[in-house]
Amino acid sequence: MIAENKALLQGISDAVLGMEEDKVVTLVEQAIKAKIEPLVTIESLTDGIERAGKLFVEEEYFVPELLLCSDAMYAGLELVRPYLDRSVDNSIGKVVIGVIEGDTHDIGKNLVKILLDTAGFEIIDLGRDVPPKNFVDTAIENKAQFIALSTLMTTTMGSMEEVVKLLKDHDSNRQIKVIIGGGPISQGFADRIGAQGYAANAVEAARLFKRLSNN
Amino acid sequence: MSITEKNRLLDTLNNIQTDRPAVISPGGMMDAVVTDTLVKSGIEFPKVHADPALIEDLALAVHHSTGFENFGLPFCMTIEAEVLGSEINYGNSICVPKITMEPFKSVEEVNFLSVKNAVLEGRVPALASAIKSLAKNNRDIPVVATITGPISLAMSLVDPQSFLKELYRKPKAAHSVLDYASEFLEAYVHVLAENGATVIAIADPSATGEILGARLFREYALPQLNRVTEAARRAGLPVIIHICGNVNAIKPIFPELKAEAISLDSVVSLRQLKQEYPALKLMGNVSTYLLEFGQASKVSTATRNLVEEKIEIISPACGLSISTPLTNIQALTTAVKNPN
Repeated sequence: MIAENKALLQGISDAVLGMEEDKVVTLVEQAIKAKIEPLVTIESLTDGIERAGKLFVEEEYFVPELLLCSDAMYAGLELVRPYLDRSVDNSIGKVVIGVIEGDTHDIGKNLVKILLDTAGFEIIDLGRDVPPKNFVDTAIENKAQFIALSTLMTTTMGSMEEVVKLLKDHDSNRQIKVIIGGGPISQGFADRIGAQGYAANAVEAARLFKRLSNN
Repeated sequence: MSITEKNRLLDTLNNIQTDRPAVISPGGMMDAVVTDTLVKSGIEFPKVHADPALIEDLALAVHHSTGFENFGLPFCMTIEAEVLGSEINYGNSICVPKITMEPFKSVEEVNFLSVKNAVLEGRVPALASAIKSLAKNNRDIPVVATITGPISLAMSLVDPQSFLKELYRKPKAAHSVLDYASEFLEAYVHVLAENGATVIAIADPSATGEILGARLFREYALPQLNRVTEAARRAGLPVIIHICGNVNAIKPIFPELKAEAISLDSVVSLRQLKQEYPALKLMGNVSTYLLEFGQASKVSTATRNLVEEKIEIISPACGLSISTPLTNIQALTTAVKNPN
């Protein structure tokens, strides 16, 4: 790849990391003009988010920064998506995600959604205050591989167990994996209710999903 | 003469040595209402939330059944947002009221209501009336009135994701909305104090360091928390601030908080925090997971550890699950009050 394009792609990653939405748009437009492969451009966009995720784990970036980085990334992504080869299914898995019934805190869930989208998953977002049955029905209807549950409240954790129970009744082949997260959630709780995974934050969640979809 | 529960809490907050830590559950999102208590008292969610007599009865029932040395009110975090325009779902028999919809999509869209009028509306009068009656009829028991902190209140009015991004993109408007939230809370605190509250607890879960980080906490949360604290001070009341989550990023700022005590979540080591900042008065932090799922003996041990670490006020780490067994809560309070 010529040096100019390399610099351009690095610039895109830097601009995502720097929360510079306008700059991302300008640089992605240049990348399109330069006929750089769409997937390569997308890689530099996601590289920016991954670097932001690293700063998040290191407690240098927090939620506002991550949200602004993702805005910048999506601004670039929307420009380059139309150029993707539609005949290729780039999705590495399908995830039904939402905040469990009784809870309306959804920032964490939205961060996970962004990072999973970045990682190449197809996301069906049921929003917040979602009854257990909706998760199960949607996952089965849409042949999803994962159900991702979030809550910030101790008072709503029981509904996560209900999702696992309902799934057992309807998904006898155990195809669908339940991953849970949120403030009061722990690996211990995940094990207790029979969920297949737990992640402590959005960055960990993305890593976990990638690992599980490779198996 | 033995010290009253009210004086023990007040003395602790005012740096006067007491016989032992107080053990309380402040109310708001940290109320100690559990199914056992609701069933025994015959009081029902959601009817209780707007009825002053039922609020009073439930506060009494919680105090008696749990052994906490206070009344903790209200039983949700939605009274303030409701009068400022948020849509509220009052919940059901096991679910507390919650915000279903933040009314504004951006800090620039917020409609500033008259706070003087707002504090006379919604469920504020019912809460005030319950506090008045509790304070009058139980002079030895402190009434802890918990209010929603300014950041969390702002994020109950404005879509939370937009709000957080606008702390960067629209700082002037963000500051205006927070000033408005604090202005309301100052007036609200005044009403609660006038009606006999003993202590104000500010629960600001969205002001956590985990979400904001140090820079944004210092710029936006610190001045507003102090502003509301000072309003309580002017009304003669001490203040406890509860902050959720991991506080590593913001703990260096804690000495600048003007509140008398800081209440923290189970993820924080209070022992370590006390070593790092010995001048801080701390409250907390028995794990609510332990309280719901653990054995009573483990709850007792965890509680005794906190007492040994000289934590000034013992409490649950955060909101209790409504299915928490009463016996576990009693293990907590007993471990402080009757350790032998």
